[in-house]
Amino acid sequence: MTAAFSAWRAGVWAGMGPQAPAMMATFLAFGAACREADMPLSWMLAACLLIYGMPGQLILLGVPGMPGVLGATVANARFLPLAIALGPYLGPRGWLAAPFIAVTPWAVAIRTVPGLHPGLGLPWFLGCGGVSWGLGAAAALLGFWVAADLPAAARPALLFANTIYFALLIGADVLRPAARPAVLGGVVAAPLAILLPPAVGLLAAGLIGGTAAWLWQRRR
Amino acid sequence: MSPDWTPLLLAAALGLSLRLAGVLLARRLRADHPMVRWAAAVAGATIAAFVVVALVAPPPAVAAAVPPVARAAGVLAGLAAQWRFGLLGGLVAGLGVLSLVAAYAAKP
Repeated sequence: MTAAFSAWRAGVWAGMGPQAPAMMATFLAFGAACREADMPLSWMLAACLLIYGMPGQLILLGVPGMPGVLGATVANARFLPLAIALGPYLGPRGWLAAPFIAVTPWAVAIRTVPGLHPGLGLPWFLGCGGVSWGLGAAAALLGFWVAADLPAAARPALLFANTIYFALLIGADVLRPAARPAVLGGVVAAPLAILLPPAVGLLAAGLIGGTAAWLWQRRR
Repeated sequence: MSPDWTPLLLAAALGLSLRLAGVLLARRLRADHPMVRWAAAVAGATIAAFVVVALVAPPPAVAAAVPPVARAAGVLAGLAAQWRFGLLGGLVAGLGVLSLVAAYAAKP
């Protein structure tokens, strides 16, 4: 077995970690929302596989036409910093991983790929990101089909699974000195995301909070 | 309903372009390059801001289904359980407590 295959297989396992059910709950809710909005299955699947960024998907579902495109693109502009942060670990053929770069696999990868042998980051991420991508679409399919049968009691957990998951991740990050400034910067800048329009608010908070954290770390 | 596919395909192309631009821009940079560190800080801060917004000011329909006390109880229970049982234990405990408190709060 080659090292690359072993890395890919480890990535597949990592992609099925605790973040998987949290992300799948979000996609399940998206599938149900598409069904309720009377969108066809093909559109719902294309949104999951081609956009693969929940804020953008939700904006496209709710806002028709060019305003929807602009809103979705701004909301998913975080793909750029995510890809830049991951790029050095993916090697010269890192572009192969581009369709799978999203917050959920990124949050797992950025804790793992720096410790891998150079050259194994790409197969690892193709495994992790590919599995996340496929599981998201599968969960959305399930949500689309069982939308009417979802028990009301399950709704709160579905709506907040991803939020609780990321809250736990940043809770752990607060204990890591290298990651702490970015978390605190994001928390302090979060009111911007509440005050500004939803499509740009989160991006503005991330840019300002993250840049402040980066400047603070450079000064030290 | 027959949707207009153009917005979806356009948004998908723009999203893929952002991802490709990031990877191609960074592939020759070292992991400790200031630009890579800046991007990681922005990404981390964006996730932290997302969590705060989702907990404090979710969309009205979500806020109605899960009251603030249930959100707070879920996160606190999750963080406490994560300390002892790891990430998966924290997730299960957080969602369990959130669901229970939301169900209790919804009782007339």
